Amino acid sequence: MSRWIRFFLAILVGVLAGLLYGWFINPVKYVDTAPDSLKIDYKSDYVLMVAEAFSVEKDPVLAARRLTLLGPKSPADMAREAILFGESHGYPDADVALMRNLAVALEAVSPSAIQGQAP
Amino acid sequence: MRENRGSWYLLTGLVLGVIIGVLYAWFVHPVQYTNTYPKTLRADFKDQYRALIATAYLSNGALVRARARLDLLGDTDIYAVLAKQAQRTLAEGGSSLEARALGILAVALGQAPPTLPGPTGGPAPSEAASPAQASPGTPVQTGAVPLTQNAATPGGTATQALTTSASTSTAASVTQTAPAGSTPTSRAARTAIPTGTSLPTRTGTPTQGAPFVLDQQELVCNPRQTTPLIQVETFDAARQPVAGVEVVVSWEDGENHFYTGVKPDVSSGYADFDMTPGVTYTLRLAEGGQPIPGLTPTECETAGGDRYWGSWRLVFVQP
Repeated sequence: MSRWIRFFLAILVGVLAGLLYGWFINPVKYVDTAPDSLKIDYKSDYVLMVAEAFSVEKDPVLAARRLTLLGPKSPADMAREAILFGESHGYPDADVALMRNLAVALEAVSPSAIQGQAP
Repeated sequence: MRENRGSWYLLTGLVLGVIIGVLYAWFVHPVQYTNTYPKTLRADFKDQYRALIATAYLSNGALVRARARLDLLGDTDIYAVLAKQAQRTLAEGGSSLEARALGILAVALGQAPPTLPGPTGGPAPSEAASPAQASPGTPVQTGAVPLTQNAATPGGTATQALTTSASTSTAASVTQTAPAGSTPTSRAARTAIPTGTSLPTRTGTPTQGAPFVLDQQELVCNPRQTTPLIQVETFDAARQPVAGVEVVVSWEDGENHFYTGVKPDVSSGYADFDMTPGVTYTLRLAEGGQPIPGLTPTECETAGGDRYWGSWRLVFVQP
């Protein structure tokens, strides 16, 4: 085996060792994450909390602003996703109904109304 | 001589490879966390999450659900964190509704027994690989799926029939996605345990429709408290502190609303307001009762003749 081949093999072994170290032994640690990275369970529960608050506050714009924390999707889409998740994961009917009410109300909220002061 | 040269260039290649690999893994294509949990949120997002938990609690009164949600944030002293956030929200001019909600939730958690009744008549909290693997009829929740609870509305009579254990541990996994590989997922389920155990009836909630009356007004001279305050305490007919009572302080060119209970470290029925010397204030409770006019900072005097500001203490009770 030529010296060059052995040299590149050594680099390859080193790269693999580096990846192992960087991905598994000492990976980048995320300690200050944003809500849009939350697992779907928590996103859905977040939507439910917004729906619970909305059931009393009756303020769809405030609810939409709260949902913008969950990512770039429209608040109505996020509510629909949470409803689907809730229905398939045994949320109580009352909770799903709350989210449905929220989703309906969010349909009427224009993007321009959401732009403003964050919640 | 040839053997030594061979070893060195191999080592050089290995080190070069490690450097390239680490650079790639850390900077070019780092591990991406796509399924995080609330505990990892940035502090300000945690504050918003906490405020939303409290606001949701105000709407449904589900204390166990609120407690389970707060547990997700990984705070070591939930009660203190809520109380501090309530005070911070007020101090920073944030939403008074949120501050009130945080205060009421802090008080509610403070009033609940340190350890809620454990599960009775059901299996212990367990983890399941997936909801589908749970036994039929057992409410299974993954991650943050809500707990079912019948609980009193805050401010109402608070006899609670809890249907799950608040100490149920939350188990959820974060999926690390190595870009080149598949996404390993493992999920854990939280099992809510039905119980028939009720918490003791909680007192200290306003009787609907009964106005508060001023029971006591006094000038408090405390040399350690040199900022002039209006200190308000509210009690129900059983002399239990009442949280969440809206207090309105007005003066010639302004008005301020705040709520009892946002300083639960003092008392769940306590609130205070900083007075400005030279300004005269009128105080009333939004839920009824007579206005108390003529509250102005008044000086006290130590035995040595030193003067400092006293505070007005107003005690309201429901007859």
